[in-house]
Amino acid sequence: MAPANEFPGNIFFYLIILGFGAFFALTVIMRLIPFFQAKRVSRLDHLPERVRDFFLVMMAQSKFFRRKYWYSGILHVFIFWGFMVLLIRSLNLLLDGVSGEISLQHLLGNVYTGWRPVMDLFNVLVIVGVSMGAFQRAFIKPERITINRDGWTIISLIFLLMVTDVLGNSLEIFLERGGKDYFSFFAFGVANLWDRVGLGVGTAEAAHTVFWFSHLVILFAFLDYLPYSKHSHVLTVAFNVFFRSSEPTGVLQPIDIEGIMERAEEGATFGVAKVTDFSWKQMLDFLTCTECGRCQSNCPAYLTQKELSPKAIQHAGRLALLANTPTMSSILRLSPSLPRTDGEPPRPIDTMGFDSIWDCVTCGSCQYWCPVMIEHVPTIMDVRRFLVMDEAQMPETAQAALMQIEQRGHPWRGTTFTRSDWMEGLEVSLFDGSQEYLLWVGCSGSLSERNVPITQALAKLLIQGGVSFGVLGEEEPCCGDPARRLGNEYLFQMQAQQAIEIMNAKGVKKILTACPHGYNVFRNEYKQFGGNFEVVHHSQLLAQLVKEGKLRPKQGEEQTIVYHDSCYLARHNDIADAPRQVLASLPRARVVEMERSRKTTFCCGAGGGHMWVEESKGQHINHARTEEAIGTGAGVVATACPFCIQMFEDGIPALEPDEEKRMRALDIAELLETAVAVKTEDMIGASDINLSMGGDEVAPSP
Amino acid sequence: MPLHIIACVKQVPDPEAPASALKVDEAAKKVVPAPGVASVISQFDALAVEAALRVKDVIADAKITVVSMGPAEARDVIKHSLAMGGDEGVLLTDNAFDNGDSYTTALVLSKAIQKIGDFDLLLFGRQATDWDAGVVGYGVAELLGIPSVSIAKAVTVQDGKVVVERVLMEGYDTVEAPLPCAITVSNELGEPRYPKLQQIMQAARKQVSVWSAADLGLDASQVGAQGTRMVLERLYQPVSEVECEVMEGETPDEKAQKLAQRLRDEKVI
Repeated sequence: MAPANEFPGNIFFYLIILGFGAFFALTVIMRLIPFFQAKRVSRLDHLPERVRDFFLVMMAQSKFFRRKYWYSGILHVFIFWGFMVLLIRSLNLLLDGVSGEISLQHLLGNVYTGWRPVMDLFNVLVIVGVSMGAFQRAFIKPERITINRDGWTIISLIFLLMVTDVLGNSLEIFLERGGKDYFSFFAFGVANLWDRVGLGVGTAEAAHTVFWFSHLVILFAFLDYLPYSKHSHVLTVAFNVFFRSSEPTGVLQPIDIEGIMERAEEGATFGVAKVTDFSWKQMLDFLTCTECGRCQSNCPAYLTQKELSPKAIQHAGRLALLANTPTMSSILRLSPSLPRTDGEPPRPIDTMGFDSIWDCVTCGSCQYWCPVMIEHVPTIMDVRRFLVMDEAQMPETAQAALMQIEQRGHPWRGTTFTRSDWMEGLEVSLFDGSQEYLLWVGCSGSLSERNVPITQALAKLLIQGGVSFGVLGEEEPCCGDPARRLGNEYLFQMQAQQAIEIMNAKGVKKILTACPHGYNVFRNEYKQFGGNFEVVHHSQLLAQLVKEGKLRPKQGEEQTIVYHDSCYLARHNDIADAPRQVLASLPRARVVEMERSRKTTFCCGAGGGHMWVEESKGQHINHARTEEAIGTGAGVVATACPFCIQMFEDGIPALEPDEEKRMRALDIAELLETAVAVKTEDMIGASDINLSMGGDEVAPSP
Repeated sequence: MPLHIIACVKQVPDPEAPASALKVDEAAKKVVPAPGVASVISQFDALAVEAALRVKDVIADAKITVVSMGPAEARDVIKHSLAMGGDEGVLLTDNAFDNGDSYTTALVLSKAIQKIGDFDLLLFGRQATDWDAGVVGYGVAELLGIPSVSIAKAVTVQDGKVVVERVLMEGYDTVEAPLPCAITVSNELGEPRYPKLQQIMQAARKQVSVWSAADLGLDASQVGAQGTRMVLERLYQPVSEVECEVMEGETPDEKAQKLAQRLRDEKVI
């Protein structure tokens, strides 16, 4: 029945399929070559979850149902579901072209006919979606998207596919080849049009042939064009979603340092020096990026005018990858322009840029917003590791911080505290295996002036709440997190191994920490080195103690508190309710939210080692976030992280010179301690502590 | 013949440890660091190694030997220097070396340098960041009978001589000296380079010789507590008290006058 069933149609049919098919096959083979040279990683764990997310994220398009990009969400859902639904038509087209006997229409009969109205509906929805897309590109022009010829080509091809589909279908209905298909409303309506204008059967048949072959050619042209376009996600996204990392987003993978030293002669490097040092999944990420720009629009570095754009990183990765991929011929010139290379293909660091690699604060916002499950942060960090460990190239401040950890065992150069100073006057004992929790105080918690009162407040609450805990005191090493985020995996592994050894030797089973970075490292990363512990964040334990009535908040002044979610707590580790429960328990306190909260929280700027690294340019990230907090009108900003609070303590005076009008920054432990009003003979209130050994200032009264 | 540079480094208790962590035993006249205090390479000595490396960056055919006198743990600072790019290390360790002074240190180092033999350039930090005496470099030069140039911010070797930029209050001097020569390096030189990980791992494989007093042809009476020429009278932590006197006055002019008078009385101006 199809125009391809008889001569000369069948010749064209097979020529088209074979010609375009061969081109496509060759392209795919060439593109796959670097994948076989890439680093091997296994992504076959947690298969049920992978299947579940495949259906949720890809088939059900879950990441598109977010209010922030509702317009693009609608248009994409239309186009994608249309694509899925209309695959049946494409399949029918191909089978029918070979022989009417094996067409889906013939084999499935009424089932296929029943599906036709659905496809017709989606013909319309896809046209609507594509029109919305065209409108967006032509008039709305959001800054995040890449507007170029490539994008318009894709839109045009999809539009033409739909048009040829509808018109071809309408003519089939007109010629009654498709049976009495009254339910394909749109096509049926167009068929009526042909009736109305008195279209002759001969003309209709000729026109049908034209549209039939056009649709076939455009379909294959589209397929062949895809690998050369930024739209290639169509081919890769199913795999990219299925093979995404099953670990929490804040996790970085270890490097086999010894193994690489052994292969140093062959040019093995610790970080990513050439594009084939990336894993096949990271390469897949590059090819799946559609340059939608959601990552960029939510990146704290990009939003504060720095070099980094996660989208540009993916694009740069793609450029480096394509420069290492054999090409059919450069005559075709269909791909986005490649950097000219004389000799050596560009390395990722060349296409990505030093500043961009260092601007990243590892907040993970990019990954949260990416609809196709690209994993931006590990890719950036792998190049950072190359810069630090292989080339020793890093900002001076990063270098200084790493040297501090190496030489002094902590990053807080110039501290006048020792690790046990905070314990003075408190009934805190050393961990000896008999207690339930090891309270990991952390370098910040003991050595940083602003954080010492927080540790003390927490200790008092734990004692009051009857929690069995001990500390490591002077024996506590640095957990190594800053070293890993700054790219020095070697230093991190040494610190981690040391910490694990100490904890295992003392029989530590449960770790309690007030630091989300410590929480992340202990819970998610220490297992990479044989450290398996149960880890609790202080917000979780405090919320539980309040709930169980072991801590009773009973006093409080009227105050409005805005809670700032730490990236490593809320986004990477899903802890957002517990701190809020603590705040909700404070008498007469009103809690307000910033718009960017919970999973969409905006970074304070200290992640990725940036607590110790000067920002390259633009507005300070912490100023941007402080501005947002001040904008809520709250008198207090509450945090649950030692870095976040320092960032606010820096940002608040910078934005409000008048001391009287300033917002105060307080940890949830400090706020709770005031409300619980811990007072026994043995304990000294935080406002009374005179840290004479550590400094001249009295701790700020909460 | 490669250009042979010898850099001398010292391991010291972390000068940036909190003041509370360093105690002075006045009776024994000793500093007692708390257990947690790290041992680090003396800051200026790391720069001496950096200076050596910068010479080698230009003159590829150069060899850098790193020498340290100290306890067995001082091996760590030699290793760090080798990771930065040094070629070989020499550790001078012996109980007899303990409790010496700048002279005995200079004596031991000069003997070691003579034993190493055939050197072109000696580099030292201008002073160690524990005792800050600042004389060992010149002492070694004196004992070896070679010239020395002090407080360098840049060191280059050209045509068989060394060109040094010496730091002055108002700027710097450029000094030329023949080789062999000893130079002390100051912080104005810049930052010591951060070693690449491969260099750190490879440093473990580099040769470090360990010599005692006997290996240097010295006996206990010449070095350490027996050989010291300096007598330490008293070692203590000064107690600093700050008194703040605020000048009263109706107007700023009046306060300024009173201040000037007060300073005059105190013979400050």
